[in-house]
Amino acid sequence: MKDKKNLTTEINPEIRDILIEMGAEDIYKCYQCGKCTSACPWFQVEIYDYPVFKFSLETALGAVASSEDKKELDKEIELIYRCVGCEACLEQCPHGISTPNILRAARRLLVDFDSYPETLKSIVQKTHNVGNPFGEHRENRADWAKGLNVPDFQQGIEYLYFPCCLPAYETRNQKVAQATVGILQKCEVSFGILGVKETCCGEVIRRIGAENIFEEVTKANIKEFKDSGVKKVLVTSPHCFTTFKNEYPDFGADFEVLHTTQYFSHLIDTGKLKLNKSFDKKVVYHDPCTLGRKNNIYEEPRNILKNIPGLEFLEVENFNRNLSLCCGAGSGGLWLEWEKDERIVNVRLKQLMDTGADIIAVACPYCLQMFEETLKSMDVDIIVMDISEIIFECL
Amino acid sequence: MDIIVCIKRVPQTAEADVTIDYTGKEIEKDRLSFDMNESDSYALEEAVLLKEKFGGEITVISLGHQDTEDTLRIALAKGADNAIRIKAEDFDELDGYKTAQIIKASISDLNFDLIFTGCIATDDAYSQVGVTLAELLDIPHASLVIFIDTSEKRAHVHRELEGGLMEHLDISLPALCTIQTGINEPRYASLIAIRRAAKKEIKVLGKEEIKDENILLNTQIEELFIPPKTKEVEFLTGSPGESAGKLANIFKEKGLI
Repeated sequence: MKDKKNLTTEINPEIRDILIEMGAEDIYKCYQCGKCTSACPWFQVEIYDYPVFKFSLETALGAVASSEDKKELDKEIELIYRCVGCEACLEQCPHGISTPNILRAARRLLVDFDSYPETLKSIVQKTHNVGNPFGEHRENRADWAKGLNVPDFQQGIEYLYFPCCLPAYETRNQKVAQATVGILQKCEVSFGILGVKETCCGEVIRRIGAENIFEEVTKANIKEFKDSGVKKVLVTSPHCFTTFKNEYPDFGADFEVLHTTQYFSHLIDTGKLKLNKSFDKKVVYHDPCTLGRKNNIYEEPRNILKNIPGLEFLEVENFNRNLSLCCGAGSGGLWLEWEKDERIVNVRLKQLMDTGADIIAVACPYCLQMFEETLKSMDVDIIVMDISEIIFECL
Repeated sequence: MDIIVCIKRVPQTAEADVTIDYTGKEIEKDRLSFDMNESDSYALEEAVLLKEKFGGEITVISLGHQDTEDTLRIALAKGADNAIRIKAEDFDELDGYKTAQIIKASISDLNFDLIFTGCIATDDAYSQVGVTLAELLDIPHASLVIFIDTSEKRAHVHRELEGGLMEHLDISLPALCTIQTGINEPRYASLIAIRRAAKKEIKVLGKEEIKDENILLNTQIEELFIPPKTKEVEFLTGSPGESAGKLANIFKEKGLI
């Protein structure tokens, strides 16, 4: 980011207007108080000063990604793609401005003009081409369910279980989908999966800015759900949850969506899910941004954990619930590499480990993946488990 | 220095489940992403770097259908001054030779010091259009170019050959170079450049505007097919000890140990 901008020459109303048209309409609400910057996870990575509060002003001036100098432009675009979309800024903003939405307007233009990081371009293309961001074959999408007697979804089944891409393909995350299925079967829930017909929900590619491909994926998913007679969808990922619940209706979706923590909490409260075995561990819960801040689901995961016999429940001091710090994986962050001392995940893991917990409980495949990958390079005993896995161990 | 850059919009097939369409001569493209051919984006960047050094104009040209104009507009945002789409819909089946003839006819009114193409298209991998175009125009060419240093009349180029060999050439201009990936780092487009590009006109040439009557097709695709599997990959699962045991058994079965 340039230290000084010559404002008289750099105001570009045309760029401002197109960014407003693409979703940055909140820019004029900003009075530059800077609370967003102090809330941003990049602020926690102490060496990096991430100028969140500047983005509204720069957008209002049409001065986003505006440099004609190649290296300077690289830096500006890198800043735009640093945002992990956690909305910690929105939580603090007195005027309710979502900086991720403002940045997404710029991202949409940059994606249309092939001007965004190659790694993200690759996941957008893979999602478009084969329905998942890893480039895995469609025919292998239901391999995680082999031998588990999971029925294909059909008319008359109550719930569609939609694991989405990480739990479908990634070895560590597959265990979460398998545990979820185990719980559903134990509780005799009527459910099925789309199997190889399942396609990525598209949340991450929308955050990256690939709006056109997101729309294509969304419409195809809605058609598949309608054709299959899906009325209720149960999801493992808060990212599927938020896009299904808050964004798909704009494209004609009319199904109910539940996150597994909501459903399992309900099953515990109604006595249908019985936790018989003791889980004698100290467990700290990490609120995923997309489940907590974006969808206000704080109590259900806690209710589950507090109902597990023997489990000692811990909170991260100061940084819990709506003040939870992001794992760094959102909005494409899972695929972007930063210098070791610039990684949000390290700060969050330290907060979680400082509680003295044996286990970090998560409720999001992205958080699980991010923590697992980072812990591999650390000499520590703490382990990460999805809440579904903890429940499954207690059945 | 005026430079023409030939670009191609290609389907991204590297990480896709590719299937053959009903004609047996084409792949199914409905669910594929399209993008500027990889080496063409390096060719464009090399032209922009030369323009920054010497001035002049860059014209990008592409033989393709309507959606090719999206790719041409990206080229305009990344530094090209003019863009021409030749209507592929006017020319039936294409091969490298026919494409080169059409491009030659389309640029007959343009002045140029250099023509750049990518060294290979990632869809058909012919690598023919560049060198054939140079021959048709009767100008020198260098393929697989990984370095260029030009003066007004001549260019010093490095060609990347097989086996780690490098060939250094001195060629007179006007000339054509097919550009290898890695020669530079293709740039992002700024939002200002994107808006500027959005307003530029893309010239569209059809069969009527291209007066050459003798454009010929030299090759015809008879059949496209996915090669049968001849080798299998087996993943060994289990603990490191179990996997090592399985691997040792395979070696024994094959008589390797």
